[in-house]
Amino acid sequence: MNNLFTTIRRTPYQSLATFLSLFLTLFLALAIFFLMSFLYGLLGYVESRPQVTIYFQTTTSEQDILQVKRELESSGKVSSVTYVSKNDAYSIYRNLNKKDPLLMEMISPDILPASLEVFALKPAYLPEISDFLNRQTGKDEVTYQKNIVDRLLALTSAVRKSALIFFAFLVLSTTVILMTITHFKVALKKDEIELQRLLGASGGYVRKPFLKEALFFGFTTAGVVFGLFTGILYYLQTALGGYFGGMSKLAVSIYTYSLPVWPLNVEIGLVMFGFTALFGLSITIIATYLATQKYIR
Amino acid sequence: MISFSNVSKTFPLGNAALTDVSFEIEDNEFVFLVGTSGAGKTTILKLIMRDMIPTEGTITVNDMDIASRSFRSVEKLRRSIGVVFQDFKVLPEQNVFENVAVSLQVLGTPRDEIKKKVREVLDLVGLKHKEKVFPVQLSAGELQRVAIARAVCGDRKIILADEPTGNLDPKTTWDIMKIFKKLEGKKTFVIATHNSDIVNSLKKRVLVLKDGRLVKDSRKGGYDI
Repeated sequence: MNNLFTTIRRTPYQSLATFLSLFLTLFLALAIFFLMSFLYGLLGYVESRPQVTIYFQTTTSEQDILQVKRELESSGKVSSVTYVSKNDAYSIYRNLNKKDPLLMEMISPDILPASLEVFALKPAYLPEISDFLNRQTGKDEVTYQKNIVDRLLALTSAVRKSALIFFAFLVLSTTVILMTITHFKVALKKDEIELQRLLGASGGYVRKPFLKEALFFGFTTAGVVFGLFTGILYYLQTALGGYFGGMSKLAVSIYTYSLPVWPLNVEIGLVMFGFTALFGLSITIIATYLATQKYIR
Repeated sequence: MISFSNVSKTFPLGNAALTDVSFEIEDNEFVFLVGTSGAGKTTILKLIMRDMIPTEGTITVNDMDIASRSFRSVEKLRRSIGVVFQDFKVLPEQNVFENVAVSLQVLGTPRDEIKKKVREVLDLVGLKHKEKVFPVQLSAGELQRVAIARAVCGDRKIILADEPTGNLDPKTTWDIMKIFKKLEGKKTFVIATHNSDIVNSLKKRVLVLKDGRLVKDSRKGGYDI
């Protein structure tokens, strides 16, 4: 460890350049990673909301509404249909506006519409279900979330593609920068390496101090980036919480595992740190390995 | 044992450094390589440590055919060889102890053992009191002694020395030779030198090179080029 710090102290500018370039890359990579996780969580959230909702006129009877529900359920194209009666709607309204007595006084169950919240088995059935609901005589309004889901899907896909390209560029540029810096460091130790090789040092022995330094910078920078990024997120959490107030929880499904993304929690923190550390270590080790390759042949 | 059989070395531009050289050096033998500048002394040393590959012929060191291009045990070979360079190759940013210890570190020797062995060998070359001193504070003779300590440390069986006394005054030259004499019979020494006094005084085996050819191999020879 002493040798490691001596080397860093003896090459301060190269060490600073390594830290700064790695810091920028890891920070951007972590921001992209969190943004993608958040977007996938948001997509999952929107997809879990009722995809088509029909609001009935206040004069429509409950029998007629339940008849529509039965027809939908027997169509084989919906996964579930939830009936929200006038009283249910009133309860939801009261719950949402319990802090505002004035709004509570103005509303009674009679003026709120009953509704059916429909979840389709496949997105392809959505237009058909929407058409069917629009043909019902007692309908007041049909809201259809396909556009929102489609736009979010398109956005997620575009962000994913852009992120991949940007990420590849980041990896390439950082690897080249780190390789160049390591080349400088190797050049400074050229005589020492030449002597070691003449004394029978193995390739691993020659590489060891450079790899140790790579591990140190990879892990330390990942720690600093994670600490700073988490600090920023916690600082913004209140503001973001207000903005995404309706969404109590966002999660990303990975096979059978559901990773909670929002609000901030230990699990996403561990995953973010793991991602940053793994990425930081991989990039520094690969760059060091390639930079030292020439000198151990 | 070191064996050269019909070894030639020609550089890419066509100049021949060695031509059809054959000799054998037994284990623990003490051999001088003499000849004018450009006679091929350094080339022979570089071939033994496989810093070069011959154009023709075979070289065997410790039963390993090291002339073959497919030879993959360069590290193993070099771990059995200690080299004393004319320009010392002492690392300026490391102290005397560290400069010698590197010879054992590359062998993977445990730290405690390194301390013990380095101190032993520094005692042998008369630098025990200077283990923490940096090269810039040492004389040429002391630097050469550091290089010798590094070469003989780590139970290396073959010691190659390329003009080890080239830049030294007569007294220091004899001090250096005394160190080699102390180890005579325990290691194989191949010493390339221009120093006729030493060669004539020690009466050891002498291989005389001229224009890349071995022209004389005398058992108790003198400096006769």
